[in-house]
Amino acid sequence: MSNLNTKATANNTYDAIVVGSGISGGWAAKELTEKGLKVLLLERGRNIEHIKDYTTATKKPWEFEHRGRITEAQKEAHPVQKRDYPYSEFNESYWVNDHDCPYTEIKRFDWYRGFHVGGKSLMWGRQSYRFSDLNFEDNLKDGHGVDWPIRYKDIAPWYDYVEKFAGISGQVEGWPALPDGQFLPPMEMNCVEKDVKKRIEDKWKKSRIMTIGRTANLTVPHGGRGSCQYRNLCSRGCPFGAYFSTQSSTLPAAVATGNLTLRPFSLVNTIIYDKETQKAKGVVVIDSETKETIEYFAKIVFVNGSTLGSTFLLLNSTSAEFPDGLGNGSGQLGHNLMDHHFRCGASGRAEGFDDKYTYGRRANGIYIPRYRNMGNDKRDYVRGFGYQGGASRGNWHADVAEMAFGAEFKDQMTTPGAWNMGLGGFGESLPYFENRVYIDKSKKDKWGQPVLAIDCEFKDNEQKMRVDMMNDAAEMLEASGIKDVKTYDNGSAPGMAIHEMGTARMGHDPKTSVLNKWNQMHEVKNVFVTDGSCMTSAACQNPSLTYMALTARACDFAVSELKKGNI
Amino acid sequence: MGGALSATTIGVFLDSCNSPSTKTNGKLFDDNQLKLITEVADIIIPTTSSPGAKAAGVGPFIALMVKDCYPEDAQKAFVKGLDALEEQSKDQFKKSFLEISPAERTQLLSKLREETIAATKAEQDKQKEADAQKTDPDKAKSQTENAGFASILPKDKPKTEPRFFSIIRDLTLLGYFTSEIGATKAMAYVDIPGRYDGCVDLKPGQKVWA
Repeated sequence: MSNLNTKATANNTYDAIVVGSGISGGWAAKELTEKGLKVLLLERGRNIEHIKDYTTATKKPWEFEHRGRITEAQKEAHPVQKRDYPYSEFNESYWVNDHDCPYTEIKRFDWYRGFHVGGKSLMWGRQSYRFSDLNFEDNLKDGHGVDWPIRYKDIAPWYDYVEKFAGISGQVEGWPALPDGQFLPPMEMNCVEKDVKKRIEDKWKKSRIMTIGRTANLTVPHGGRGSCQYRNLCSRGCPFGAYFSTQSSTLPAAVATGNLTLRPFSLVNTIIYDKETQKAKGVVVIDSETKETIEYFAKIVFVNGSTLGSTFLLLNSTSAEFPDGLGNGSGQLGHNLMDHHFRCGASGRAEGFDDKYTYGRRANGIYIPRYRNMGNDKRDYVRGFGYQGGASRGNWHADVAEMAFGAEFKDQMTTPGAWNMGLGGFGESLPYFENRVYIDKSKKDKWGQPVLAIDCEFKDNEQKMRVDMMNDAAEMLEASGIKDVKTYDNGSAPGMAIHEMGTARMGHDPKTSVLNKWNQMHEVKNVFVTDGSCMTSAACQNPSLTYMALTARACDFAVSELKKGNI
Repeated sequence: MGGALSATTIGVFLDSCNSPSTKTNGKLFDDNQLKLITEVADIIIPTTSSPGAKAAGVGPFIALMVKDCYPEDAQKAFVKGLDALEEQSKDQFKKSFLEISPAERTQLLSKLREETIAATKAEQDKQKEADAQKTDPDKAKSQTENAGFASILPKDKPKTEPRFFSIIRDLTLLGYFTSEIGATKAMAYVDIPGRYDGCVDLKPGQKVWA
């Protein structure tokens, strides 16, 4: 660095650098700027301005040339993104061109990515659940992975804090394994869901419960943002700001402080380690438009580039002191990759509600929290699963002939038909050391960087759990009077749930973990990692709310350490 | 040439002279074929108390979709099936499909539907037979039980033969019910509902929500 002139360095110097502008990076930017730090927020992709750039948000179905379908040409450019439903014409521009950013699949791993300001906070599913001590203690109790260095009491106030800002609607249930939060009014269950809820809770005497999904959609105006209009078009970006995203929520708060510099098109290639101070002193950025290389400097670095994005960055940040990646003395960086396994459950037809219907398109369903391997329940696998699902009434009629057409068929297709109720399991996967990512130098991405190789699979425990996920769903539906119940297991590949986690885990011991209980690198004290890579176990709940809480908590700690002169 | 050519022969003829391709930006269908598609769609979803597929512009939509969103083998099957339908009309009624009555059109499509159902079922049965040979019947009770480290990865869908009637029916339904006419006149569409009511009384004549 000696050849850098001092003025240029000063111009490129901030109090903090945040790498990535998705759910956790947006929170880091908000918290750090609100605490008075000058923050540089780096985003590898383009800017998407709130509302203005949601180009499809108010389009009607007939205004889409292909009515949501993707073209053969788009499939060719998106061989990974096209594997599942999230990639469609409705928000096509939010997903990466897979050829720009290849990776090596040692085993199948579906890696869904969006390179733009807001990251996946624009397209996320918005389901927001707290972890409980059941989750924080599982690793310790059954010996898989390492012990979480925190317990529920450590994170509970931070869940309160982020929920109050983000706006999470939900129903208080008093269910210890799924702690209640600071909820906005819950969305309503429909009449079939209400009936199924009652019957399940009666039959299992409240050892199983069903609640309305807890979702980051506003049911009342909140924090200057409008309430949900029940269009169910969230993943295009919401013109009412009615769901939590970086754009709607954390970014405006960070901008309002006057302390934020947002730089899109800034792909962070490495974190620069200074062996004199034993800290990171900055980052090397590749301008993703011009491919020009620029260095930025700061007192602290928050790494929020998504689980595998952040892990790549750390693995790619090698030095004499850290030849295997920054802060990777433990050798755990890149290991213990997890995702939820799902696409398995049951559904059937509800009778007795033919005179009832719904109004509005609710972008939310119901949730049945985990009940397996709790209390006296012991299965032939460890951990558990929760269910998402719901009832709806479409135009399905039992008496429609196969491949029917014509006037009578048209009438049937436009008349409300049978109610359907479904339950789909989301199962915990274990932190297996051998499920890992590493750098593959045999390929280069569009920006000349090596790529990640991903070697990850679900194993015996997940497989055994799926039998229950399928059969329990059928049992609960049948107990609820649902007819023609059919089970399904459509198979699940790691990555599909887009809940990848665990490759830079938190832990007590620097020998077996990358981060301490404050999401601070054991070995590089001014680097914090607060996206999904920090997760010590996956639980079975949707994890984003926990990333938010851990980020806010880590920011509070980081600024206090900075003020004390400890980092 | 008329009815002298069998469907298979027409297929060969088409392959050599009129091969559709995803690689070109040229039109996949000529004007006559586009009219044909439009009329077929209008039999699948006709005008009733609400306008049908033709009024909703479904014909050009189908042509666009087949060109943009289907692989070459499906495009070929589509063109071949469309032309075979026209030949069938000339065979049976000595007139183009465009000139026969709606009842006659329905008659031809009914026959095509039955053939398509039969062919699809035969293909599925064959697939099931092939699957059964791969699966140990002792383990058939549960796909995952006692399966050791066998994969829970999604299985690739078996490649199925693209069929003209299935494609044009699918695209007619998609195109019609997402069209402005289909969504707002045949179904009920509310752009911005503004609220969710989970349990309302079904009113007489209520259409399904688009």
